[in-house]
Amino acid sequence: MSMSMTATPDTIELELLGFLKNKTKAQWTADRDLFADGGLSSLFAMELVVHLEQRFGITIAGSDLQLKNFRTVTSMVELVVKLQRGIGA
Amino acid sequence: MREQAELLTDLVGDRAGEWDRSGLLPVELLRKLGADGLLCAEVPVEHGGQGWTSLDNGAFTAHAGSLCSSLRSVMTSQGMAAWTVQRLGDAEQRDHYLRRLTSGALAAVGFSEPQAGSDLAAMTTSIRVEGDSVLVDGRKVWVTAAYYADLLVVFGRYGDGGAAVVVPADAPDVRVERIADPMGCRAAGHATIVLDSVRLPAANVLGAGAAIPFLVSSSLAYGRKSVAWGCVGILRACLDAAARHATTRHQFGRPLAEHQLVAGHLADLVAAEQVATRLCEHASRCWDSGSPDVVIATLLAKHESAQRAAAGASAAVQVLASAGARDGHAVSRAYRDAKLMEIIEGSNEMCRLLLAEHAVRVAGGWGVR
Repeated sequence: MSMSMTATPDTIELELLGFLKNKTKAQWTADRDLFADGGLSSLFAMELVVHLEQRFGITIAGSDLQLKNFRTVTSMVELVVKLQRGIGA
Repeated sequence: MREQAELLTDLVGDRAGEWDRSGLLPVELLRKLGADGLLCAEVPVEHGGQGWTSLDNGAFTAHAGSLCSSLRSVMTSQGMAAWTVQRLGDAEQRDHYLRRLTSGALAAVGFSEPQAGSDLAAMTTSIRVEGDSVLVDGRKVWVTAAYYADLLVVFGRYGDGGAAVVVPADAPDVRVERIADPMGCRAAGHATIVLDSVRLPAANVLGAGAAIPFLVSSSLAYGRKSVAWGCVGILRACLDAAARHATTRHQFGRPLAEHQLVAGHLADLVAAEQVATRLCEHASRCWDSGSPDVVIATLLAKHESAQRAAAGASAAVQVLASAGARDGHAVSRAYRDAKLMEIIEGSNEMCRLLLAEHAVRVAGGWGVR
Protein backbone atom coordinates (compact mmCIF):
# COMPACT_ATOMS: atom_id res chain seq x y z
CA MET A 1 0.00 0.00 0.00
CA SER A 2 1.50 3.36 -1.01
CA MET A 3 1.75 6.14 1.56
CA SER A 4 -1.34 8.25 1.58
CA MET A 5 -1.37 12.01 1.41
CA THR A 6 -1.73 13.92 4.68
CA ALA A 7 -5.45 14.01 4.68
CA THR A 8 -7.68 16.43 6.49
CA PRO A 9 -11.33 16.63 5.45
CA ASP A 10 -10.50 19.83 3.55
CA THR A 11 -7.62 18.40 1.58
CA ILE A 12 -9.60 15.27 0.77
CA GLU A 13 -12.47 17.40 -0.49
CA LEU A 14 -10.17 19.51 -2.66
CA GLU A 15 -8.49 16.46 -4.09
CA LEU A 16 -11.82 14.83 -4.95
CA LEU A 17 -13.24 17.96 -6.57
CA GLY A 18 -10.08 18.10 -8.68
CA PHE A 19 -10.38 14.44 -9.65
CA LEU A 20 -14.02 14.85 -10.67
CA LYS A 21 -13.27 17.97 -12.68
CA ASN A 22 -10.41 16.24 -14.43
CA LYS A 23 -12.49 13.16 -15.25
CA THR A 24 -15.73 14.88 -16.26
CA LYS A 25 -14.66 18.29 -17.57
CA ALA A 26 -17.29 19.80 -15.30
CA GLN A 27 -17.34 21.85 -12.11
CA TRP A 28 -18.54 20.08 -8.98
CA THR A 29 -19.46 21.28 -5.53
CA ALA A 30 -19.08 19.22 -2.38
CA ASP A 31 -22.80 18.65 -1.95
CA ARG A 32 -23.78 18.15 -5.59
CA ASP A 33 -25.50 14.78 -6.08
CA LEU A 34 -23.42 12.73 -8.51
CA PHE A 35 -26.26 10.34 -9.22
CA ALA A 36 -29.01 12.91 -9.79
CA ASP A 37 -26.98 15.50 -11.71
CA GLY A 38 -24.14 13.46 -13.04
CA GLY A 39 -25.75 10.15 -13.89
CA LEU A 40 -22.82 8.44 -12.15
CA SER A 41 -22.39 5.07 -13.82
CA SER A 42 -21.37 1.90 -12.05
CA LEU A 43 -18.11 1.88 -14.00
CA PHE A 44 -17.24 5.43 -12.97
CA ALA A 45 -18.23 4.56 -9.43
CA MET A 46 -15.60 1.80 -9.57
CA GLU A 47 -13.05 4.33 -10.80
CA LEU A 48 -13.87 6.44 -7.76
CA VAL A 49 -13.47 3.44 -5.46
CA VAL A 50 -10.05 2.56 -6.89
CA HIS A 51 -8.99 6.21 -6.83
CA LEU A 52 -9.97 6.69 -3.16
CA GLU A 53 -8.16 3.50 -2.21
CA GLN A 54 -4.98 4.40 -4.03
CA ARG A 55 -4.89 8.08 -3.13
CA PHE A 56 -5.72 7.75 0.55
CA GLY A 57 -4.27 4.34 1.33
CA ILE A 58 -7.56 2.85 2.45
CA THR A 59 -9.45 -0.32 1.63
CA ILE A 60 -13.14 0.09 0.93
CA ALA A 61 -14.63 -3.22 1.99
CA GLY A 62 -17.80 -4.80 0.67
CA SER A 63 -20.34 -3.35 3.04
CA ASP A 64 -18.97 0.17 2.50
CA LEU A 65 -19.75 -0.05 -1.23
CA GLN A 66 -23.10 1.65 -0.69
CA LEU A 67 -24.51 4.32 -2.94
CA LYS A 68 -24.96 6.72 -0.04
CA ASN A 69 -21.19 6.71 0.55
CA PHE A 70 -20.54 7.93 -3.01
CA ARG A 71 -23.52 10.22 -3.58
CA THR A 72 -21.61 13.47 -2.97
CA VAL A 73 -18.03 14.59 -2.42
CA THR A 74 -18.99 15.27 1.20
CA SER A 75 -20.14 11.69 1.73
CA MET A 76 -16.94 10.35 0.16
CA VAL A 77 -14.87 12.59 2.45
CA GLU A 78 -16.74 11.14 5.43
CA LEU A 79 -16.03 7.63 4.22
CA VAL A 80 -12.31 8.31 3.78
CA VAL A 81 -12.05 9.93 7.21
CA LYS A 82 -13.89 7.02 8.81
CA LEU A 83 -11.67 4.42 7.13
CA GLN A 84 -8.44 6.30 7.85
CA ARG A 85 -9.43 6.45 11.51
CA GLY A 86 -10.18 2.74 11.42
CA ILE A 87 -6.63 2.02 10.29
CA GLY A 88 -5.13 4.24 13.01
CA ALA A 89 -7.28 2.78 15.77
CA MET B 1 5.68 -18.80 -13.66
CA ARG B 2 7.55 -20.53 -16.50
CA GLU B 3 7.75 -23.69 -14.42
CA GLN B 4 3.99 -23.66 -13.74
CA ALA B 5 3.27 -22.99 -17.41
CA GLU B 6 5.31 -26.06 -18.36
CA LEU B 7 3.45 -28.08 -15.74
CA LEU B 8 0.17 -26.97 -17.29
CA THR B 9 1.35 -27.93 -20.78
CA ASP B 10 2.22 -31.40 -19.47
CA LEU B 11 -1.04 -31.80 -17.56
CA VAL B 12 -3.16 -30.90 -20.58
CA GLY B 13 -1.02 -32.79 -23.09
CA ASP B 14 -3.00 -33.59 -26.21
CA ARG B 15 -6.28 -34.10 -24.36
CA ALA B 16 -8.06 -30.76 -24.91
CA GLY B 17 -9.79 -32.07 -28.03
CA GLU B 18 -11.07 -35.11 -26.19
CA TRP B 19 -12.37 -32.90 -23.33
CA ASP B 20 -14.15 -30.73 -25.89
CA ARG B 21 -15.90 -33.74 -27.43
CA SER B 22 -16.83 -35.35 -24.10
CA GLY B 23 -17.78 -32.03 -22.49
CA LEU B 24 -15.91 -32.88 -19.30
CA LEU B 25 -12.61 -31.92 -17.70
CA PRO B 26 -10.93 -34.40 -15.33
CA VAL B 27 -11.88 -33.16 -11.85
CA GLU B 28 -8.65 -34.45 -10.31
CA LEU B 29 -6.70 -32.16 -12.64
CA LEU B 30 -8.79 -29.16 -11.54
CA ARG B 31 -8.28 -30.09 -7.89
CA LYS B 32 -4.52 -30.42 -8.35
CA LEU B 33 -4.27 -27.00 -10.01
CA GLY B 34 -6.57 -25.59 -7.33
CA ALA B 35 -4.51 -27.04 -4.49
CA ASP B 36 -1.38 -25.50 -6.02
CA GLY B 37 -3.17 -22.12 -6.00
CA LEU B 38 -2.89 -21.93 -9.79
CA LEU B 39 -6.59 -21.45 -10.57
CA CYS B 40 -6.52 -18.08 -8.76
CA ALA B 41 -2.83 -17.26 -8.66
CA GLU B 42 -3.25 -13.62 -7.60
CA VAL B 43 -4.47 -14.60 -4.12
CA PRO B 44 -1.92 -13.18 -1.65
CA VAL B 45 0.62 -15.53 -0.08
CA GLU B 46 -0.71 -14.84 3.43
CA HIS B 47 -4.00 -16.45 2.39
CA GLY B 48 -2.30 -19.50 0.89
CA GLY B 49 -2.07 -18.18 -2.67
CA GLN B 50 0.77 -17.71 -5.13
CA GLY B 51 0.64 -13.91 -4.74
CA TRP B 52 1.31 -13.33 -8.43
CA THR B 53 0.92 -9.95 -10.05
CA SER B 54 -1.93 -9.45 -12.47
CA LEU B 55 0.64 -9.29 -15.27
CA ASP B 56 2.15 -12.67 -14.39
CA ASN B 57 -1.21 -14.30 -13.85
CA GLY B 58 -2.34 -12.80 -17.16
CA ALA B 59 0.52 -14.49 -18.99
CA PHE B 60 -0.38 -17.76 -17.26
CA THR B 61 -4.07 -17.33 -18.12
CA ALA B 62 -3.17 -16.74 -21.77
CA HIS B 63 -1.11 -19.92 -21.72
CA ALA B 64 -4.09 -21.86 -20.33
CA GLY B 65 -6.28 -20.24 -22.99
CA SER B 66 -3.91 -21.36 -25.74
CA LEU B 67 -4.21 -24.96 -24.54
CA CYS B 68 -7.88 -25.26 -23.57
CA SER B 69 -10.50 -22.54 -23.18
CA SER B 70 -12.67 -24.78 -21.00
CA LEU B 71 -9.86 -25.09 -18.47
CA ARG B 72 -9.17 -21.38 -18.76
CA SER B 73 -12.87 -20.71 -18.09
CA VAL B 74 -12.71 -22.72 -14.87
CA MET B 75 -9.66 -20.63 -13.94
CA THR B 76 -11.60 -17.44 -14.65
CA SER B 77 -14.45 -18.60 -12.40
CA GLN B 78 -12.15 -19.55 -9.56
CA GLY B 79 -10.26 -16.27 -9.85
CA MET B 80 -13.49 -14.29 -9.94
CA ALA B 81 -14.75 -16.09 -6.82
CA ALA B 82 -11.47 -15.36 -5.04
CA TRP B 83 -11.53 -11.72 -6.12
CA THR B 84 -15.14 -11.37 -4.95
CA VAL B 85 -14.17 -12.70 -1.53
CA GLN B 86 -11.11 -10.46 -1.42
CA ARG B 87 -13.04 -7.41 -2.55
CA LEU B 88 -16.26 -7.89 -0.58
CA GLY B 89 -15.43 -10.09 2.39
CA ASP B 90 -14.24 -9.06 5.84
CA ALA B 91 -10.87 -10.15 7.24
CA GLU B 92 -12.21 -13.41 8.66
CA GLN B 93 -14.09 -14.33 5.49
CA ARG B 94 -11.07 -13.53 3.35
CA ASP B 95 -8.82 -15.79 5.34
CA HIS B 96 -11.34 -18.65 5.51
CA TYR B 97 -12.48 -18.72 1.90
CA LEU B 98 -9.23 -17.77 0.17
CA ARG B 99 -7.50 -20.59 2.00
CA ARG B 100 -10.16 -23.01 0.76
CA LEU B 101 -9.93 -21.67 -2.79
CA THR B 102 -6.18 -22.30 -2.82
CA SER B 103 -6.32 -25.76 -1.30
CA GLY B 104 -8.43 -27.69 -3.79
CA ALA B 105 -11.99 -26.41 -3.34
CA LEU B 106 -13.50 -25.33 -6.67
CA ALA B 107 -15.79 -22.31 -7.07
CA ALA B 108 -18.20 -20.66 -9.48
CA VAL B 109 -19.89 -17.26 -9.51
CA GLY B 110 -23.56 -16.78 -10.40
CA PHE B 111 -24.72 -13.47 -11.90
CA SER B 112 -27.20 -14.05 -14.74
CA GLU B 113 -30.81 -15.08 -14.23
CA PRO B 114 -33.50 -16.10 -16.71
CA GLN B 115 -34.75 -12.48 -16.84
CA ALA B 116 -31.55 -10.67 -15.88
CA GLY B 117 -28.68 -11.04 -18.35
CA SER B 118 -26.99 -7.77 -19.28
CA ASP B 119 -29.49 -5.96 -17.05
CA LEU B 120 -28.16 -7.38 -13.81
CA ALA B 121 -29.95 -4.74 -11.75
CA ALA B 122 -33.10 -6.72 -12.60
CA MET B 123 -31.93 -9.77 -10.65
CA THR B 124 -34.53 -11.28 -8.35
CA THR B 125 -32.52 -13.79 -6.32
CA SER B 126 -33.11 -12.87 -2.69
CA ILE B 127 -30.98 -13.24 0.43
CA ARG B 128 -33.19 -12.73 3.50
CA VAL B 129 -31.96 -12.52 7.08
CA GLU B 130 -33.64 -14.80 9.62
CA GLY B 131 -31.93 -14.63 12.98
CA ASP B 132 -28.35 -15.91 12.63
CA SER B 133 -29.03 -17.36 9.22
CA VAL B 134 -30.08 -16.26 5.75
CA LEU B 135 -32.57 -17.81 3.35
CA VAL B 136 -31.59 -17.76 -0.31
CA ASP B 137 -34.09 -18.14 -3.15
CA GLY B 138 -33.45 -17.82 -6.85
CA ARG B 139 -32.20 -19.27 -10.08
CA LYS B 140 -28.87 -18.53 -11.77
CA VAL B 141 -28.24 -19.56 -15.36
CA TRP B 142 -25.12 -20.27 -17.43
CA VAL B 143 -22.89 -20.36 -14.38
CA THR B 144 -19.46 -21.36 -15.68
CA ALA B 145 -17.75 -24.15 -13.71
CA ALA B 146 -20.78 -24.63 -11.43
CA TYR B 147 -20.93 -28.32 -12.37
CA TYR B 148 -17.50 -28.87 -10.76
CA ALA B 149 -17.82 -26.34 -7.95
CA ASP B 150 -17.83 -26.97 -4.21
CA LEU B 151 -18.67 -23.35 -3.47
CA LEU B 152 -21.17 -21.21 -5.40
CA VAL B 153 -20.82 -17.46 -4.99
CA VAL B 154 -24.29 -16.11 -5.73
CA PHE B 155 -25.34 -12.48 -6.08
CA GLY B 156 -28.78 -11.36 -4.96
CA ARG B 157 -30.92 -8.72 -3.32
CA TYR B 158 -30.31 -8.04 0.35
CA GLY B 159 -32.46 -5.45 2.10
CA ASP B 160 -32.42 -2.26 0.03
CA GLY B 161 -29.18 -3.25 -1.67
CA GLY B 162 -27.44 -6.44 -2.59
CA ALA B 163 -24.91 -8.98 -1.40
CA ALA B 164 -23.06 -12.08 -2.48
CA VAL B 165 -23.51 -15.29 -0.54
CA VAL B 166 -21.25 -18.33 -0.51
CA VAL B 167 -23.41 -21.42 -1.01
CA PRO B 168 -21.87 -24.86 -0.51
CA ALA B 169 -22.95 -26.84 -3.58
CA ASP B 170 -23.91 -29.78 -1.37
CA ALA B 171 -26.15 -27.76 0.97
CA PRO B 172 -29.76 -28.96 1.20
CA ASP B 173 -32.19 -27.42 -1.31
CA VAL B 174 -29.43 -26.54 -3.80
CA ARG B 175 -29.71 -28.05 -7.27
CA VAL B 176 -26.98 -27.76 -9.92
CA GLU B 177 -28.12 -28.83 -13.40
CA ARG B 178 -25.48 -29.15 -16.09
CA ILE B 179 -26.27 -27.41 -19.38
CA ALA B 180 -26.16 -29.97 -22.16
CA ASP B 181 -24.09 -29.27 -25.28
CA PRO B 182 -22.92 -25.67 -24.88
CA MET B 183 -21.68 -24.27 -28.18
CA GLY B 184 -18.23 -23.37 -26.86
CA CYS B 185 -15.97 -23.96 -23.85
CA ARG B 186 -17.88 -27.22 -23.86
CA ALA B 187 -16.08 -28.75 -20.89
CA ALA B 188 -16.29 -25.65 -18.68
CA GLY B 189 -19.11 -27.14 -16.60
CA HIS B 190 -21.80 -24.53 -17.34
CA ALA B 191 -24.84 -25.16 -15.18
CA THR B 192 -28.09 -23.74 -13.89
CA ILE B 193 -28.25 -23.26 -10.12
CA VAL B 194 -31.62 -23.54 -8.40
CA LEU B 195 -31.85 -22.30 -4.81
CA ASP B 196 -35.05 -23.17 -3.02
CA SER B 197 -35.14 -21.53 0.43
CA VAL B 198 -31.55 -22.52 1.10
CA ARG B 199 -30.69 -21.83 4.74
CA LEU B 200 -27.10 -20.74 5.44
CA PRO B 201 -25.18 -19.09 8.27
CA ALA B 202 -25.25 -15.27 8.01
CA ALA B 203 -21.43 -15.46 8.11
CA ASN B 204 -21.57 -16.69 4.49
CA VAL B 205 -22.82 -13.28 3.28
CA LEU B 206 -20.24 -11.01 1.60
CA GLY B 207 -20.70 -7.25 1.24
CA ALA B 208 -24.11 -7.18 2.92
CA GLY B 209 -26.23 -4.25 1.79
CA ALA B 210 -23.81 -2.89 -0.83
CA ALA B 211 -25.24 -1.50 -4.06
CA ILE B 212 -25.81 -4.20 -6.70
CA PRO B 213 -24.02 -2.26 -9.49
CA PHE B 214 -20.95 -1.90 -7.26
CA LEU B 215 -20.99 -5.56 -6.33
CA VAL B 216 -21.39 -6.78 -9.86
CA SER B 217 -18.90 -4.35 -11.46
CA SER B 218 -16.18 -5.19 -9.00
CA SER B 219 -16.54 -8.93 -9.50
CA LEU B 220 -16.96 -8.71 -13.26
CA ALA B 221 -13.77 -6.65 -13.52
CA TYR B 222 -11.71 -9.72 -12.66
CA GLY B 223 -13.73 -11.90 -15.02
CA ARG B 224 -13.25 -9.46 -17.89
CA LYS B 225 -9.53 -9.30 -17.33
CA SER B 226 -9.26 -13.07 -17.23
CA VAL B 227 -11.41 -13.56 -20.34
CA ALA B 228 -9.33 -10.95 -22.17
CA TRP B 229 -6.12 -12.84 -21.43
CA GLY B 230 -7.84 -16.10 -22.37
CA CYS B 231 -8.60 -14.56 -25.77
CA VAL B 232 -4.90 -13.74 -26.18
CA GLY B 233 -4.30 -17.46 -25.70
CA ILE B 234 -6.93 -18.34 -28.31
CA LEU B 235 -5.21 -16.01 -30.78
CA ARG B 236 -1.80 -17.55 -30.06
CA ALA B 237 -3.12 -21.06 -30.64
CA CYS B 238 -4.79 -19.95 -33.88
CA LEU B 239 -1.72 -18.10 -35.15
CA ASP B 240 0.46 -21.10 -34.38
CA ALA B 241 -1.86 -23.59 -36.08
CA ALA B 242 -2.45 -21.37 -39.12
CA ALA B 243 1.23 -20.52 -39.62
CA ARG B 244 2.34 -24.15 -39.32
CA HIS B 245 -0.34 -25.36 -41.72
CA ALA B 246 0.35 -22.61 -44.26
CA THR B 247 4.04 -23.49 -44.18
CA THR B 248 3.68 -27.24 -44.57
CA ARG B 249 0.67 -27.63 -46.83
CA HIS B 250 1.35 -27.18 -50.55
CA GLN B 251 -1.15 -26.28 -53.28
CA PHE B 252 -0.45 -25.29 -56.88
CA GLY B 253 3.21 -26.21 -56.33
CA ARG B 254 4.01 -23.98 -53.35
CA PRO B 255 3.24 -23.61 -49.65
CA LEU B 256 -0.11 -22.00 -48.80
CA ALA B 257 1.77 -19.12 -47.13
CA GLU B 258 3.07 -18.08 -50.57
CA HIS B 259 -0.47 -17.56 -51.79
CA GLN B 260 -1.12 -13.93 -50.97
CA LEU B 261 -4.75 -14.29 -49.89
CA VAL B 262 -3.72 -16.93 -47.34
CA ALA B 263 -0.71 -14.85 -46.24
CA GLY B 264 -3.14 -12.02 -45.53
CA HIS B 265 -4.87 -14.16 -42.89
CA LEU B 266 -1.52 -14.81 -41.22
CA ALA B 267 -0.74 -11.10 -41.14
CA ASP B 268 -4.13 -10.36 -39.56
CA LEU B 269 -3.52 -13.01 -36.92
CA VAL B 270 -0.12 -11.56 -36.04
CA ALA B 271 -1.64 -8.10 -35.65
CA ALA B 272 -4.61 -9.36 -33.63
CA GLU B 273 -2.40 -11.30 -31.21
CA GLN B 274 -0.17 -8.27 -30.67
CA VAL B 275 -2.99 -5.77 -30.17
CA ALA B 276 -4.81 -8.04 -27.73
CA THR B 277 -1.60 -8.75 -25.80
CA ARG B 278 -0.70 -5.07 -25.43
CA LEU B 279 -4.20 -4.09 -24.29
CA CYS B 280 -4.20 -6.89 -21.71
CA GLU B 281 -0.75 -5.93 -20.48
CA HIS B 282 -1.88 -2.34 -20.07
CA ALA B 283 -4.97 -3.40 -18.11
CA SER B 284 -2.91 -5.67 -15.86
CA ARG B 285 -0.35 -2.94 -15.21
CA CYS B 286 -3.19 -0.60 -14.17
CA TRP B 287 -4.46 -3.41 -11.95
CA ASP B 288 -1.03 -3.91 -10.36
CA SER B 289 -0.44 -0.19 -9.74
CA GLY B 290 -3.93 0.44 -8.35
CA SER B 291 -4.70 3.02 -11.03
CA PRO B 292 -8.35 4.06 -11.49
CA ASP B 293 -7.73 3.70 -15.24
CA VAL B 294 -8.01 -0.03 -14.60
CA VAL B 295 -11.77 0.11 -15.06
CA ILE B 296 -11.80 1.32 -18.66
CA ALA B 297 -8.55 -0.44 -19.56
CA THR B 298 -10.04 -3.77 -18.48
CA LEU B 299 -13.27 -3.22 -20.37
CA LEU B 300 -11.36 -2.25 -23.50
CA ALA B 301 -9.01 -5.22 -23.23
CA LYS B 302 -11.95 -7.60 -22.89
CA HIS B 303 -13.90 -6.13 -25.76
CA GLU B 304 -11.05 -5.87 -28.25
CA SER B 305 -9.51 -9.23 -27.35
CA ALA B 306 -12.83 -11.03 -27.66
CA GLN B 307 -13.61 -9.50 -31.04
CA ARG B 308 -10.13 -10.17 -32.35
CA ALA B 309 -10.21 -13.74 -31.06
CA ALA B 310 -13.54 -14.38 -32.79
CA ALA B 311 -12.28 -12.92 -36.07
CA GLY B 312 -8.88 -14.58 -35.70
CA ALA B 313 -10.35 -18.00 -35.00
CA SER B 314 -12.56 -17.66 -38.05
CA ALA B 315 -9.49 -16.82 -40.16
CA ALA B 316 -7.58 -19.78 -38.74
CA VAL B 317 -10.39 -22.17 -39.66
CA GLN B 318 -10.32 -20.66 -43.14
CA VAL B 319 -6.57 -21.28 -43.48
CA LEU B 320 -6.73 -24.85 -42.20
CA ALA B 321 -9.92 -25.56 -44.11
CA SER B 322 -10.76 -29.27 -44.08
CA ALA B 323 -7.71 -30.01 -41.88
CA GLY B 324 -9.30 -28.09 -38.99
CA ALA B 325 -12.97 -28.60 -39.67
CA ARG B 326 -13.91 -31.16 -37.06
CA ASP B 327 -14.85 -30.81 -33.40
CA GLY B 328 -11.96 -31.19 -31.04
CA HIS B 329 -9.40 -29.64 -33.42
CA ALA B 330 -7.63 -26.60 -31.95
CA VAL B 331 -9.01 -24.12 -34.49
CA SER B 332 -12.48 -25.59 -34.46
CA ARG B 333 -12.58 -25.29 -30.67
CA ALA B 334 -11.19 -21.78 -30.91
CA TYR B 335 -13.90 -20.80 -33.40
CA ARG B 336 -16.71 -21.89 -31.05
CA ASP B 337 -14.99 -20.80 -27.82
CA ALA B 338 -14.06 -17.34 -29.11
CA LYS B 339 -17.62 -16.60 -30.21
CA LEU B 340 -18.79 -17.09 -26.63
CA MET B 341 -16.14 -14.63 -25.46
CA GLU B 342 -18.04 -11.93 -27.38
CA ILE B 343 -21.01 -12.69 -25.13
CA ILE B 344 -19.69 -13.58 -21.69
CA GLU B 345 -18.85 -10.98 -18.95
CA GLY B 346 -20.43 -8.18 -20.99
CA SER B 347 -21.49 -8.68 -24.60
CA ASN B 348 -19.87 -6.71 -27.41
CA GLU B 349 -22.91 -4.46 -27.37
CA MET B 350 -22.73 -3.79 -23.61
CA CYS B 351 -19.00 -3.11 -23.83
CA ARG B 352 -19.57 -0.60 -26.62
CA LEU B 353 -22.32 1.16 -24.67
CA LEU B 354 -20.03 1.48 -21.66
CA LEU B 355 -17.12 2.74 -23.78
CA ALA B 356 -19.41 5.33 -25.38
CA GLU B 357 -20.63 6.38 -21.93
CA HIS B 358 -16.98 6.83 -20.95
CA ALA B 359 -16.41 9.02 -24.03
CA VAL B 360 -19.41 11.19 -23.13
CA ARG B 361 -18.19 11.64 -19.57
CA VAL B 362 -14.64 12.49 -20.59
CA ALA B 363 -15.99 15.06 -23.07
CA GLY B 364 -17.92 16.77 -20.26
CA GLY B 365 -21.29 15.39 -21.26
CA TRP B 366 -22.34 14.79 -17.67
CA GLY B 367 -21.88 18.27 -16.37
CA VAL B 368 -24.52 19.72 -18.69
CA ARG B 369 -27.35 17.37 -17.76
